[in-house]
Amino acid sequence: MKFRTERDGLLDALATAGRAASTRGTGGPGAANLQLVLHGNHLVVTGSDQDLVIEVRTSVAGDSDGSVLAPARLLVDIVRSFDPGAITLTSDDDEVRLTSGKAEFVVRVPVSAEIARLSAAEGEGITLPAALFAEGLRQVVRAALTDDTRAPQLTGVLMVATETGLRLVATDSYRLAFRDLAGVSALSAGSEVLVPARALAEIQRLVGTSAPTDGPAADDEPLVFHHGELDAVFDLGAVQLTTRLLRGPFPDYERLLPPSYPNSFSASRDELAAALRRVRLMVRDTKDATTPVRISFGEQGAELTVLTAETGRAAERVDGAYSGEELTVAFNPTYLLEGIEAIRADTILLDVIDSTKPATVRGSGEDDYRYLLMPVRVP
Amino acid sequence: MSAPGRRPGDLPLDVLHLDMDCFFAAVEVLRDPSLAGHPVLVGGTGPRGVVASASYEARVHGIRSAMPMSRARALCPSAIVLPGRFDAYREASARLQVILRSVTPLVEPVSLDEAYLDVSGAHRLSGTSPDIAWRLRRTVRAELGLDCAVGVGRTKLVAKLASKAAKPRIEHGAVVAGAGVVVVAAEEEREFLHAHPVRALPGVGPRTADRLGRFGVSSVGDLAAVSRDSLVRLLGSSSGRALHDLASGRDERCVVAERPARSIGHEETFPTDIRDPVELARRAREAAARVATRCRSAGVLARTVTVKARFSDFTTVTRSHTLAAHADTAAAFGDVVCDLLASLPSGGGLRLVGVHVSGLLAAAELPARQLELFADGSGQAPGSDGHAHRDRRDDVEAATEAIRRRYGETAIGPLARASRGTSSGPAGPVGPA
Repeated sequence: MKFRTERDGLLDALATAGRAASTRGTGGPGAANLQLVLHGNHLVVTGSDQDLVIEVRTSVAGDSDGSVLAPARLLVDIVRSFDPGAITLTSDDDEVRLTSGKAEFVVRVPVSAEIARLSAAEGEGITLPAALFAEGLRQVVRAALTDDTRAPQLTGVLMVATETGLRLVATDSYRLAFRDLAGVSALSAGSEVLVPARALAEIQRLVGTSAPTDGPAADDEPLVFHHGELDAVFDLGAVQLTTRLLRGPFPDYERLLPPSYPNSFSASRDELAAALRRVRLMVRDTKDATTPVRISFGEQGAELTVLTAETGRAAERVDGAYSGEELTVAFNPTYLLEGIEAIRADTILLDVIDSTKPATVRGSGEDDYRYLLMPVRVP
Repeated sequence: MSAPGRRPGDLPLDVLHLDMDCFFAAVEVLRDPSLAGHPVLVGGTGPRGVVASASYEARVHGIRSAMPMSRARALCPSAIVLPGRFDAYREASARLQVILRSVTPLVEPVSLDEAYLDVSGAHRLSGTSPDIAWRLRRTVRAELGLDCAVGVGRTKLVAKLASKAAKPRIEHGAVVAGAGVVVVAAEEEREFLHAHPVRALPGVGPRTADRLGRFGVSSVGDLAAVSRDSLVRLLGSSSGRALHDLASGRDERCVVAERPARSIGHEETFPTDIRDPVELARRAREAAARVATRCRSAGVLARTVTVKARFSDFTTVTRSHTLAAHADTAAAFGDVVCDLLASLPSGGGLRLVGVHVSGLLAAAELPARQLELFADGSGQAPGSDGHAHRDRRDDVEAATEAIRRRYGETAIGPLARASRGTSSGPAGPVGPA
């Protein structure tokens, strides 16, 4: 195999496919590698770790067809290190040769390794509005569990067909986010699939990078989705992402939704977020859920306090309208901030029931998104 | 994290000191009744060995603890010398602790065979301090087959001296039975204390005793008559002040239920090696449950669970796991213990399993806890085997413990344990009949 191409295009293809390649030694013997296949001027770069496959198609100046498997991390690092300009890549059974300018790398290729492929999903694809879908993902993926040792099914986002469209739901058991995408019919009525949040985060990233302008106003490029029993495919044209589906049971989240909100605080999204970021400075380890921010709600607004034995104390009052009884609820400040940052509206509503029941974050006038968050119980 | 102890400022006779009579030797006699009536020595048999424990029959010959074994043998050539089986002593001691804790959780073990108890909270259930002391002595006799002496006083010092006074004595080459229980009432305390030699006070060794002797101070009474300032000049500031306080009956030391422990553990050596994984898991869960009980009585929660396993060939391995959150329940520890045991190479039988927990935190210092949306915690649908089940088990444990606190350690237990027909621990309630 031999081809010439520009550094930037190749780096983009390698790095994108490389995000599916495993760097943790998991996913089988081929998982740390990328596969490059050349047909004429069409190069296909594939990364895979058995659960996720990312295939990137790009055009190059082909010389001779062929295919090769090479270490993903090293390939990406080498190409990234080259100055912008032409790169020549040649390969045989033993090695990959990369030259650019006066630099030359000869990388040994693994013997008899293969990368895992998932079965191609069957059936007609459904075209999703990419930007809208990506925005929904931005709001929901954050609530999914990232550590899969505890409850694997919580590392997924539930895509479920509703009467009016598609609902995306994710929870790590501490918070839960859902977004309704009206008019989007990705699934047959009443059906649902549980898609790994990791794959969806890649979709969100890919759509985001290819649509630099913000928001749904951007031109919706096609995102074709189809799924089978085991796998789902997201096809963005140049990039195709195939993911294994997760198996439930997904928690029965609907019973958690409070029927009413007895205590409701409304404030500027940005002011509340800024205050939270400030007081959170006192929490040294932001992943550590043990230092909460205490929020006292009253007529004066909300008083945010972070108090730690080692670091000290921070407090800030956030103006806002509050209706309900005076009470104090403690939250993991990062979890709360992530909920607030998911809101599009300028005014957010923070609804609390009491110090041990789930609070809800939503945007004023936005009924299609909810972020539920359990408080932190303080001794 | 010391449990609130008793301050000497209040006057009741709430401190008990229990001391087993020649504990190691007595355990040996219990295991081999043919030793009864003979001089028995337990201790090092090597050239530098010392006597760890001597039966009264040996003491008649002038043998004392900590005496070089060679000298003891010279004093009593017919003595039966045993190297000591510490697993057996530990086991007896553990059973003793169970009995003591059935009276009050405020038990401060000093060594395997000695402990202080603060019974200030036990009167309603168990009667007066002398009642408790007598019943305790009877229970120890009935449950362990061993004798002990119990001292009762207002302070640790007095209780300790009282238990010593309750012991059998050697007089004219013969053993004279002791009172078994000595109660030093507040109004007798002064006289009782003052009659003791200064050596009886903690912190007074031969050198201090010598120095005091040169000033004509030989008894505690003499000591109490010396001014505090003179004592400080003589012995230095800290020991001078401490001795003056003790001699005057002021003992500020409280009974501390659990020293600031770094870890809590329980180990069990099996009579025969266990190969059956089911039996092993059951025994391991028992050990985990004991550790959990001790955690709760000490008011601490643990984060790290360590399993120690000794195989038939004496190779020993340990495995640890750190929990997502602090815990103090048999279920939480037992699940981890079983997982860790299952991860060990299988095949050979096990002769010992130990469960230790560390990363201890007082319940009051427990960090804030992120609550979960789903009651069962795992995120699984309700009804599946998740934390909901665990919470229920927590309730069961709490109830079980309440029953044990009131009616004794063996009043209630898992059916699996009952079916083994074990008779360790008190057979019934230790409280008032």
